[in-house]
Amino acid sequence: MLLDFHKLGAWKWLLSGICALMTLFLLMPILFIIALSFGDSRWLIFPPPGWTLKWYEELFADPRWIGAALTSAKIATIVMVLSVALGLLVSLALVRGKFRGRAVLRAFFLTPMVLPVIIVAVALYAAFLRLGLNGTLVGFVIAHLIVALPFSVITISGALETFDPAIEDAAILCGASPWEARFRVTLPAISHGLFSAAIFSFLISWDEVVLAIFMASPGLQTLPVKVWTTLRQDLTPVIAAASTLLVVLTVLLMIVAALIRKGKSR
Amino acid sequence: MTTPYLHINGIRKVFGEVVATDHVELSIAEGEFMTFLGPSGSGKSTTLYILAGFQDPSAGDITIRGKSILSTPSHKRNIGMVFQRYTLFPHLSVGENVAFPLRVRRMGKSEVDARVKRALKLVRLEGFEDRMPAKMSGGQQQRVALARALVYDPPVLLMDEPLSALDKKLREEIQFEIRRIHQETGVTILYVTHDQEEALRLSDRIAIFNKGKIEQVGTGPELYANPATHFVADFIGDSAFLAGELASVSGERAALRFADGTTVAAVPLHGSGRAGQAAELMLRPERIELATEPGPEGASLPVTVEDMTFLGNNTTLAARTPWGAALSVRLNFGHPLAANVARGDRLHIRWSPEAAHAFVRG
Ligand SMILES: Nc1ncnc2c1ncn2[C@@H]1O[C@H](COP(=O)(O)OP(=O)(O)O)[C@@H](O)[C@H]1O
Ligand SMILES: [Mg+2]
Repeated sequence: MLLDFHKLGAWKWLLSGICALMTLFLLMPILFIIALSFGDSRWLIFPPPGWTLKWYEELFADPRWIGAALTSAKIATIVMVLSVALGLLVSLALVRGKFRGRAVLRAFFLTPMVLPVIIVAVALYAAFLRLGLNGTLVGFVIAHLIVALPFSVITISGALETFDPAIEDAAILCGASPWEARFRVTLPAISHGLFSAAIFSFLISWDEVVLAIFMASPGLQTLPVKVWTTLRQDLTPVIAAASTLLVVLTVLLMIVAALIRKGKSR
Repeated sequence: MTTPYLHINGIRKVFGEVVATDHVELSIAEGEFMTFLGPSGSGKSTTLYILAGFQDPSAGDITIRGKSILSTPSHKRNIGMVFQRYTLFPHLSVGENVAFPLRVRRMGKSEVDARVKRALKLVRLEGFEDRMPAKMSGGQQQRVALARALVYDPPVLLMDEPLSALDKKLREEIQFEIRRIHQETGVTILYVTHDQEEALRLSDRIAIFNKGKIEQVGTGPELYANPATHFVADFIGDSAFLAGELASVSGERAALRFADGTTVAAVPLHGSGRAGQAAELMLRPERIELATEPGPEGASLPVTVEDMTFLGNNTTLAARTPWGAALSVRLNFGHPLAANVARGDRLHIRWSPEAAHAFVRG
């Protein structure tokens, strides 16, 4: 290869240095927040003068924070299940179907990815006003499903495309009914795609804030919305603690997703 | 006549404008190894897929022991199949792949274990139960696929070019295994290939497919010695074709005349023809003899030697007829002429009258 890393000589060190700086730059705000969540300064002084867990205690003692976290988890879980189920059906149609306009339909399913989220939010808000869905769980789920579904469609179609339909035919000749073949052979064979889709759908809903702000009502808000509203009223380190928990769950799920991808390539 | 075991009765399949198979008619005996041989796109796979139930014929019927199978869905036909592509279930081990047909049949555990073991032994892969398909070579994967297709003792086994992705040496090795397995199990096999050597090596009988139709059915030697059509003659074995016209026809024999007026007499004629029709003379290279004198009965032609190539067990001559048609002639090693033939020599090719065939063109 022309640009073989090991043959770059002194450039190697420069490139490594740039990479390290970039990583640090990207991680800095997160590390900063994590440090602050354990700092004992009420005024978010950095570096913290001392260390404490009291912000976490305060967080867990406050039913509004717990409620927001549970709401987030509930919405994300429902979105995850629906996104994978619909993503699977859509992918089956897009990959296996032989009808005209497949390419157009595929592009259509991916538009929420490129459309500015704020436009989706405003449009949904206007539509939901008529339907009375603003501030409801159903409204939240629909809104998040719209942005999560394209990721499901991409990952599941990708897995399905590398799966030879002749394998399903083989299962059928072995005596499995078409549905049995799909459940016992096709689904397990593309399970890495289904798991990735599930994790990404969960995460998209879990840390989505723009749509959530539009959908939220005083009685129903997700964790990111709670962080956002609290931030505007009063700058307390509890926010840092809540943010840290958000980050921890996200990182954990990303690690799981990476492990699944690695297991598949093995 | 008794009812044939498996009967493909006038199967026709149309895809839009394309006629994939047209009135395919074939009877197969129980335990027979029948091969569909033909060029790519000639309708072999389509016929097999209709048997498997993946496609419905536009017309015709398929019967096993006189009963139509067309209304039975694929998964209830109890037919085994090995595909051209690798179709092992990627998430299951070799043992679980082979056990799959038994599990969907709700067979008991001890029975499953015993059968899986027996099937893997049959394809000489004992002890591979725990391997994952991705960790096996192409040849091994196709052998597992064969074990999976045989483990439930299907009466009929379909194979659609199962070895076409493998290299020559491995292919020959597995062909040998397939023959042995056929003999050991007695299963009726329908095998698709476009490789004539593979067909000749494996089959009891061969059906030659061309453009969706069966041109001829017969054993390898029958097809070789007595091709019914130009296509079959061309497809099985290499042969020389010389274009001319029918000079006269009497019964099953014809005389042919070539461009410069040269004639050959008493050639077995395939199909019917009249004097004056365009026709071709077909000769198998190993039935041609090279000599300094013309042969009796007009079964010979003068040729001029243009080039010689020594190929070990034979010397191949590039020769030309008086009217300019090219022809290749083989001289076995040790043939008296082989040592002293030279470019420009005028010689004669001769054959025994039954060794030539005349085909009317068009
Ligand atoms: N599903 C299909 N749709 C349209 N045309 C097809 C389909 N399957 C086969 N054909 C056509 O039917 C003809 C025979 O194909 P096939 O049976 O696969 O040939 P073979 O197996 O002898 O190579 C070909 O012209 C092929 O293009
Ligand atoms: Mg084919």
